[in-house]
Amino acid sequence: MDALQAIMGRRSIRRYEDRPVEEVKVEALVKAAMAAPSAGNQQSWRFVVVTDRERLDKLADASPFAGLLERAPLAIVICGDVTAEKHQGFWLQDCAAATENMLLAAHALGLGAVWLGFYPVEERVEGVRHICELPDALVPFSIVALGYPSEEKPPADRYNAEYVRRETWG
Amino acid sequence: MDALNAIMTRRSVRKFTEEPVSEADVSTILHAAMAAPSAFNQQRWRFVVVRDSERLAELSEETPYAGSLAGAAAGIVVCGETADERTPGYWVVECSAATENALLAANALGLGAVWLGVAMYDDRIGNVRGILALPDHISPLAMIALGHPAESRDPAARFDADKVHNETWHDAGSGD
Repeated sequence: MDALQAIMGRRSIRRYEDRPVEEVKVEALVKAAMAAPSAGNQQSWRFVVVTDRERLDKLADASPFAGLLERAPLAIVICGDVTAEKHQGFWLQDCAAATENMLLAAHALGLGAVWLGFYPVEERVEGVRHICELPDALVPFSIVALGYPSEEKPPADRYNAEYVRRETWG
Repeated sequence: MDALNAIMTRRSVRKFTEEPVSEADVSTILHAAMAAPSAFNQQRWRFVVVRDSERLAELSEETPYAGSLAGAAAGIVVCGETADERTPGYWVVECSAATENALLAANALGLGAVWLGVAMYDDRIGNVRGILALPDHISPLAMIALGHPAESRDPAARFDADKVHNETWHDAGSGD
């Protein structure tokens, strides 16, 4: 798929076919995520790949917006390692760029995906920490739910000329 | 350019030729940035496109690590609308996704670009706010230096299997 087409055509997909995602595609997804830029190239991202049905169901209960994980064959938990930081506080931006890369790669691979936010909501963070046995250094940032899409969405045209200023804000 | 290729080959490009970047390319990059996901689709990203070479030089001097802006054909300052938030502070995350989309689009267009961090450092935020006359409710996240690349960089091999675990962090798999 063409890169610009992938960027413009990516949508949040929340319904999936009942079949697994191949291991080779899982690897491509985490490789794409790790190709993101990071502050001082600190690469503070970490990943937990979840396919176990029971664990996916538990994650579905860890946020009011994660229920769709009950019907997803795959979830990738993206965490920030706060002890890996050279530039303090930038792990959020590192993990956001990695998450976006993963979503785009998923779309390019014919998968559907949606970004579920966990950080900074304390109860969601602690829930995922417990379910995925994360050490204190790792903060669960987001979960990307993944699968072969069973819904189709046209590209969203979000361009808004009012959001662009020239030279200065005024 | 193929999408996975664009993702895997994107590098930070800091040296640019004097060739200008077309308005069409800037527009494509802004469209790409605004195609990012955001919490509840709030789309709190805002952009200031800077082409004036004096202003680019000023931005480059007042921010550490931003020297590349002085030789860039254009700069795109990615900002967040911080007022009326349903999800306080999360604009940083959304604007980061938008910035990454912009960098990937630049790579796909054959342009070079680099993400220059502003947010998280109060002095940089203040400097950029002053130069661009940003109101209080608009906060700068990052600046993108943009131009035709005058350096060629091989794809970076950042994949690290130790950073991937299965089911839990304490799995018995290859990640440990």
